[in-house]
Amino acid sequence: MRKTLLLMLLLAAPITARAQEFKIPPNIDRLSAKAKETVEVTMEGPMLRWASKFLSAEDPEEAKCAKLVQNLRGIYVRSFEFDKESAYSNEDVEQLRALVHSPEWTRVVGVRSVHDGENVDVYFKLENDKMAGIIVIAAEPKELTFVNIVGPIDVDQLADLGGEFGIPRLDTSSAKKGDRR
Amino acid sequence: MTLPENELKHALRRREPPEGFAERVLARVEQEGTRKTQKARESLLDFFTRPILRWATVGAMCAVLVAGGFYYRHGQELRAQRERAQGEAAKQQLMLALRIAGSKLQIAKAKVIETSVENKNREVKE
Repeated sequence: MRKTLLLMLLLAAPITARAQEFKIPPNIDRLSAKAKETVEVTMEGPMLRWASKFLSAEDPEEAKCAKLVQNLRGIYVRSFEFDKESAYSNEDVEQLRALVHSPEWTRVVGVRSVHDGENVDVYFKLENDKMAGIIVIAAEPKELTFVNIVGPIDVDQLADLGGEFGIPRLDTSSAKKGDRR
Repeated sequence: MTLPENELKHALRRREPPEGFAERVLARVEQEGTRKTQKARESLLDFFTRPILRWATVGAMCAVLVAGGFYYRHGQELRAQRERAQGEAAKQQLMLALRIAGSKLQIAKAKVIETSVENKNREVKE
């Protein structure tokens, strides 16, 4: 009995360790060979703090970013833009999703759009009822994006940043207007 | 005029040097050496004691110091510039990462809102 328990613990240890250390999915970088454009961002503790020192407090957007990243431990982004559709397989996406299938991660949003083919999954990691990380997997017809943010983060503030830096904000209010009609 | 053989023999005969000759020669040699060294030292001192040369030396040393200072400051400025450029690049990367994450979250948010509105509309119609 004791031996069985020990064996189970030994087998479970690497899985737990992998889940804790999980940052960037293995083999994801091979997609860059097929991609037209690749964005790779890997920023951890000291590098993150150093980069945030260059964010200006006078610039409102940069000030928001500084506030957002002040307690983060790491930001990992892999985004691939392809010339044509179906450049990546469903298996590629499923492999990404499978990595987040662990008790510490909770899938809070799962969008499957047949209309425009935009599929987005958002996973939260909670520690003592506090946000400890977020993973976003966005699979679009010509784009595949993986985002892993380690540390406490304000999701609303992060979503707000999506409409800044010259990128038009998605008009989520139009849907609300339709509701009023 | 040729000297008679006897006189020649007499002139070239082996004679012992006067007493203390070797010591005197050695003392002279030593004295000569010391004098030469002293002369060289004096001429070197002379060179530096000349006012123009003295000021030229001071000027050259100042120029070297100033040039060294400029070189050091320039190096520091270059290092600071390089660090600033690296920091700016890191900042851009950070903002790009946040922008990507934010935009994907917005897509998810928009889709969720869109779906809930559609569901509500459907409910109202029914």
